[in-house]
Amino acid sequence: MSGHHDLGGTRTHAPIPRAQHAFLPWEMRVDALMQLLSDPQRPGGALMSVDELRRGIESLSADEYRSLGYYERWLQSLIAIMTEKGVLDGAELERRFAEVERAHEREHAVGGAP
Amino acid sequence: MTARFQLGEPVRVLDAGGSGHVRTPRYIRGKRGVVERICGEFRKPEELAYGRYDGEREPLYRVRFAQREVWPDYAGANDDTLDVEIYEHWLERSEERR
Amino acid sequence: MSDAAVSERVEFMYARTPALGARVVARAWFDPAFKARLLADGSAAVRELGIEVGVLKLVVVENTAQVHNLIVCTLCSCYPRMLLGLPPDWYKSVEYRSRAVREPRAVLAEFGLSLPAGVTVRVHDSTADMRYLVLPMRPEGTAALSEGECAALVTRDAMIGVALVEAPKV
Repeated sequence: MSGHHDLGGTRTHAPIPRAQHAFLPWEMRVDALMQLLSDPQRPGGALMSVDELRRGIESLSADEYRSLGYYERWLQSLIAIMTEKGVLDGAELERRFAEVERAHEREHAVGGAP
Repeated sequence: MTARFQLGEPVRVLDAGGSGHVRTPRYIRGKRGVVERICGEFRKPEELAYGRYDGEREPLYRVRFAQREVWPDYAGANDDTLDVEIYEHWLERSEERR
Repeated sequence: MSDAAVSERVEFMYARTPALGARVVARAWFDPAFKARLLADGSAAVRELGIEVGVLKLVVVENTAQVHNLIVCTLCSCYPRMLLGLPPDWYKSVEYRSRAVREPRAVLAEFGLSLPAGVTVRVHDSTADMRYLVLPMRPEGTAALSEGECAALVTRDAMIGVALVEAPKV
């Protein structure tokens, strides 16, 4: 873990980007999911901690950390940590992703010209 | 709670490397500051990050640093400060008086 | 983990806006005893107003004529979401996270804020379980306003520390 998230003091003078993007529904859902998973009041106790989420994010490569969006990093971390805990099955997830991708392609093929 | 350090006490952040998940930023390691607040007792992030939710709690401190001590080229005012929360296992007594 | 639970949580998130923080600030301006309690124990004081803050501890830091506070989380993007809602993209940016601790006055200048001479800048890096809210100074020219009217002046940026609260232009 190379600490590429540990940013204090690493840049000077670089202008702070001020653009604000509208939160996409999937982003809000990822955030909400994390809140629910880490809630100590959850029946059976919390399944995940904020610290594990951070650790998962910090485990991304420097390239991934830089190029992925904020909630994309969260999602990657959630998947990694939940797989680590055996809550998610990596192979099953791959199958589901492939299904969704195929459905998406079919929709777009029917829709019209590429 | 038996906190090792008291309000107003000079402390130094350890210069340890720390692998895995730590919450002590690199820029503050080895720096000297003063305990500004004892925040309470909390579990170690290094343990929580690996699924150990029931480890022992330890005191967490808010430590105030002079910016001119933290950054050799600090360009702001002499009195400017930086407050950072540091877990007890990352602190030691500082011999230097402010 | 039901879909309904997630959707309900999302609705809850939409309900958290900086107006909650602004209420707290205005109350502190109008009620010195509340302000004292707020500075001593932020979570407890905010609960008095019926705002739920969860397990994380709120620390409210006061701007004065001598001290100006600025909040950042250099390691990720910790933010007092229970009072301000979701953080803006700039707060989470690499640039803000790296510069706020090292050259806060330059960052403030970039946000159009220049402080009078003699004001100390105090930066707070939320590295652990505390969440910080800046209690901005009440601007001149608001003596005739109600608490609600004052709350309407308080911006999210003022509660992070990159702006001051401004009186309404006449």
